[in-house]
Amino acid sequence: MPLNIDVVQILLHMLNFVILAGGLTLLLFKPVKKFLDERQKYFADKEKKLAEGLENNENLRAEYEKKLSTVDSEIEEMKLNAKNETAKEAKEYLNNAQEKAAAIISEAESQAEDRKEHILDSAQTEIGELVVEATQKLLETNANPDRTHELYDEFIKSMVRDVQ
Amino acid sequence: MKGMVIDMKKKISKRRAVFIVVWLLLIFFLLGAILILKSPPNETESIKEVMKDGVLHDRNKISLFGIIDVNPALISAYVVTAVLLVVAALIRIFAIPKFKYVPGKFQIVIEKLVEFFNDMAHANSPHKTGFISAYIFSAGVYIFFSTLFELLGVQAVTTEGHSIALPAPIADINAAIAMGFMTYTIILLGGIICNGINGGLKVLKDFSLPISMSFRLFGALLSGLLVTELVYYYISLSFVLPVVVGILFTTLHALIQTYVLATLASVFYGEAVEPKKPKEPKRSGKSKQPEAPEESTAA
Repeated sequence: MPLNIDVVQILLHMLNFVILAGGLTLLLFKPVKKFLDERQKYFADKEKKLAEGLENNENLRAEYEKKLSTVDSEIEEMKLNAKNETAKEAKEYLNNAQEKAAAIISEAESQAEDRKEHILDSAQTEIGELVVEATQKLLETNANPDRTHELYDEFIKSMVRDVQ
Repeated sequence: MKGMVIDMKKKISKRRAVFIVVWLLLIFFLLGAILILKSPPNETESIKEVMKDGVLHDRNKISLFGIIDVNPALISAYVVTAVLLVVAALIRIFAIPKFKYVPGKFQIVIEKLVEFFNDMAHANSPHKTGFISAYIFSAGVYIFFSTLFELLGVQAVTTEGHSIALPAPIADINAAIAMGFMTYTIILLGGIICNGINGGLKVLKDFSLPISMSFRLFGALLSGLLVTELVYYYISLSFVLPVVVGILFTTLHALIQTYVLATLASVFYGEAVEPKKPKEPKRSGKSKQPEAPEESTAA
C-alpha cells in the first residue's frame, strides 16, 4: 500500500479510539455534564424563586402604597363609624335607663298605693276600735236609755242616708 | 576621604561584573559557533532516511505483544489511551464526587474542558448534540494529549533493536485515516438515523470529507514532526532550539488540530442531522386560475 497504509493498523487505531472514547465518555464526560446540568438547574430554580419573590414584594409594595393613599379617608370613615356607634349605644343606654326608671317609679307608686290602703285599713280598724272603746266608755259613764234610743235612731238615719 | 574610597570600590566592583558577563557571553558565543560549524556526525541513519521513516514508518517497527509488528505510533496510541483512561478513572473516583457548586481550580479546568466541547457541539449541531459532544470531547482529548505525548520522548525498542522515541500517534497516516473515517462514519450514521436514506445520501455527497480530514490531521502533525526531526538530527541545533521548536510546534499542532477536527466533525454532523424543512405550498398564478371560472360558473 502507498504511504505504508496498513488496514490492520487502521483497525487497531480504531479499536484504540473506540475504547478511549467509551471510557472517557463514561468516566469523565457524562458525570461532569450531569453535574453541570444539575448546577445549572439549581441556579435556574434559585433565580426563578428570586424573581417570584421580587414580583411578590413588588405587588405587596404596590398594595401597601395603595392602602396608604386611602388610609386617611379610611380613618375618617372609622372615626365617623365609631362616633355613630357611640351615639347609638348612648341612646340605647339612656332609653334603657328611662325604661328602668319608669318601671321603678311605677313599682314605687304601686307599693305606695298598697301601703296607703293598708294604712287606711288599719287606721279605719283602729278608729273603729277607738270609736267602740269610746262608745263603751261613754256608755259606761252615761248610761241613759233615752239617749241610747236617740243615738240608735240617729245612727239608723245616717245609715239610711248613706244607703240612699 | 572615606566617601571617595567607597565610590572607587563601587566603580571597581561594577566594572568587574560587566567584565565577567562579557567574558561568559564570549565563551558561549565561541562554543556555539564551534558546535554550529562542526560537521554532522556519522549517524547510522542519514537525514533522508530519518525523514522518510518519519513519514512512512516503514523501517522502525515495534512488536505488539509479539503478535504483529506495528508502527511506533500505534504503541503511542495505546499508551496514551491507557494513561488517559487511568487519569479519567482517578478523576471520576476521587475528584468528581467532591465537586462543589462553587468550583475550585481543578474543578474549573475539568468543567471548562467538558463545557468547551459541549458548547461547540451545541453551536454547530443544535438539533442533536448528545452523541457528537461526547465524540468530539473524546477525539479532542485524544488528539491533544497524544500530540503532547511526543514531548515526553518515551523510549521504545524496535524489532531491529534500535531505541526510538515514541512519536505522536496522529503522525502515523494509519491513525489519521482511522480518525478521519471514524468521524465520517459517525456523521454518515447520524444523517441516516435522523433523516433516513436522504440524510445518508446527503453525507455521501461529501465523499472527500474522510480523505480531507485524515490528510489534514496527518499533514499537520507530520509537518511538525519533520521540522522537529530536522532540528533534532543536527546535534549542533539540539541545545536550545529543540525546546522552543518542539514545544512550539507540538503545542500549537495539538491545539489547532484538536480545534479543527472537533469543529469540522460537529459542523458536518450538525448539517447531516438537521431536520428537513417542510416544503411550503406553491403559490403561483396557475393554482388560483381554476377557482375563478368555478366562481363565474356558479354565479
